[in-house]
Amino acid sequence: MKRSYVIKRILYAVFIFFVVLTLNFFIPRLGVRDPAERYYPPRGAMSDIEYEIIKQFTREQYGFDVSTFQQYIRYVQGLMRLDLGTSLQPGSPKVTTLIGQRLPWTLVLSVSTLLISLIIGLLFGTLAAWKRGRWQDTMLLNASTISIALPSFFIALMLSFYLGFELELFPAYTNPNMVAQFDWSWKAIQVVLNNAALPIMSMTLGGIVGYSQTTRNSVIAVTNEDFVITARAKGLSHTTVLYKHVLRNAMLPLATSIGMSISGLIGGAIIIERVFNWQGMGTLFLEANSTNDYPLMMGIMLFLSAFAILANLVTELFYVILDPRVTVGDRR
Amino acid sequence: MSERSVFLRVAQRGSSFLSLVKKLWQHPKGRVGLILVGFLVLVAVLAPVLAPYDPYDVTQRAEKGLRPSLQHPLGTTITTGQDIFSMLIYGSRVSLMIGISTGVVLAFLGALMGVMAGYIGGFVDNLIMRIVDVLLVIPTLPLIIVLTNFLGRSYFVIVLVFVLFGWTGLARIIRSLVLVLKNSNYVKAAELAGASRWYVMTKHILPGTSHLIIMNTTLTCAGIMVAEAGLSFLGLGDPTAISWGKMLAEAQGGGALLFGAWWWILAPGAGIFLAVFSFMRIGIVMEEVFNPRMKASSSIYKLFKHLNNTYLEEVFRSMEDEECPESSQEPDYLDASHAEGPP
Repeated sequence: MKRSYVIKRILYAVFIFFVVLTLNFFIPRLGVRDPAERYYPPRGAMSDIEYEIIKQFTREQYGFDVSTFQQYIRYVQGLMRLDLGTSLQPGSPKVTTLIGQRLPWTLVLSVSTLLISLIIGLLFGTLAAWKRGRWQDTMLLNASTISIALPSFFIALMLSFYLGFELELFPAYTNPNMVAQFDWSWKAIQVVLNNAALPIMSMTLGGIVGYSQTTRNSVIAVTNEDFVITARAKGLSHTTVLYKHVLRNAMLPLATSIGMSISGLIGGAIIIERVFNWQGMGTLFLEANSTNDYPLMMGIMLFLSAFAILANLVTELFYVILDPRVTVGDRR
Repeated sequence: MSERSVFLRVAQRGSSFLSLVKKLWQHPKGRVGLILVGFLVLVAVLAPVLAPYDPYDVTQRAEKGLRPSLQHPLGTTITTGQDIFSMLIYGSRVSLMIGISTGVVLAFLGALMGVMAGYIGGFVDNLIMRIVDVLLVIPTLPLIIVLTNFLGRSYFVIVLVFVLFGWTGLARIIRSLVLVLKNSNYVKAAELAGASRWYVMTKHILPGTSHLIIMNTTLTCAGIMVAEAGLSFLGLGDPTAISWGKMLAEAQGGGALLFGAWWWILAPGAGIFLAVFSFMRIGIVMEEVFNPRMKASSSIYKLFKHLNNTYLEEVFRSMEDEECPESSQEPDYLDASHAEGPP
């Protein structure tokens, strides 16, 4: 029963991946008659014949000289070898190499944001649920309203303005040498932490409120369940019930919401990375966009989608293991 | 169809809309939201009258980087000496236009998809839900950036892209409600009486979901306005218009941080905050009016899901509705809200 469920989910994930892959292949071919058109160099003062030769050369170079179907087959074959294509940047680096260079820096931001906002959110959420209807709870509610209406990049700008330029506590822009000079020494790590402080702060603010709300709601839901009332009726203390009965069960919805944020871990910080000029995946994507580096853009898109599919699959399977009440057979 | 019955129906619709506004007005928080939205719409419509200067005028070299004063209530920009107060007023146009038009079109598409998936079921349902699954794993912001790169950055393309990739949330919510409505007696009666699918869908199912659609639309408007600000901030919005997100980007690029021009950052931020906040207020209050059992917190939570483009939880929810369609009257809310009561 369980195994067939796992296989089903994996097959479904593979199916979704193929749909995404196909979309990814066709999106750059939208709206132009000749898909190679976007790759041609500017015409300049070339004559018709010269330009035709250049065009032909470009078509061959980027594999547009065969039929669309053959191009698709080649594309899929490339993916099987984990080849996302070649960037148009000088030196024609592989898209996978570029992603590999930037990915760790994005993870520095996103993983620490996730951990910090999770821990603080858990504390706040439990507090708000325990003091339901009192000022702590109301405050959380108001904080949520305000934090949604304030876009994260505005918070980032204000933090950069106040903590960066006025108080000079943290660097307001990322040190451009940070990436090149990183060598795992204690000093280099300190530099990274110092530079990452403001981006992390501006992202955690929304995260804390989100996790607090999730925790609060799921704690309240569990508090009303029979087994908690039984535990209280047995005469167990407040804290025992909270830790042993309520929080353990309240973790489940939280686990799902962590799973959701994992899928956004590597692509979720585009705007914040831009504000602080942090050299991560987001800025890589924006650079690709501004230089019309289509292979790089589509490669990043596919990578992000694949990561999201994988993260969702893992969370889904994990959820089944985590919650024994979920009967696998009933689910789809 | 006589003319009179059409007139009657219009009058009915109008009066139900009025009564909704009345209900919102009676709610203290709703009144604040209504006043704010009305104010914003007024400002956007009357922008040319209200703005003291031409916000596009970039030639006022003598007036660069002025602090807020009587002449320039919110100061001027450092780079070109544009009047920030006028820019702020004009910026409301882009935010409201994109927010409201996207919200409305998205409501139509989402409702159509949701009702079709829920009511027709079978193959159609499967197809729509698979599309939803695919759209949910593709990262939204990068996709929007890619499409604006390929299709251009005009107002129309931006709205189109937001609609194409934003309808999934509403479709899911509507679908799960339709699954419940489908089994209700009046729908069964209409089917037995020989009504066509289309008739049942438009006359019986759709009105039953209207409150969810309206409420969701206000919340979507708020979410889209944040997204639009982000897009403009990245320099990917409509290049010809003044928008709050673009003002923030210009402020950062123009050295507002370095020269301490706080007014240049605070003004557009306040604009975004005000617009999003007022729409959200109305959405939340509507939720309370339609569903007195609900607490405000759950709709805030829902908005979070909108903004974070969260995927998995919705998948689980949709699976849960499939298991027990009866108990999923409001399947999109966290279970806490059902059980809320004395501990």
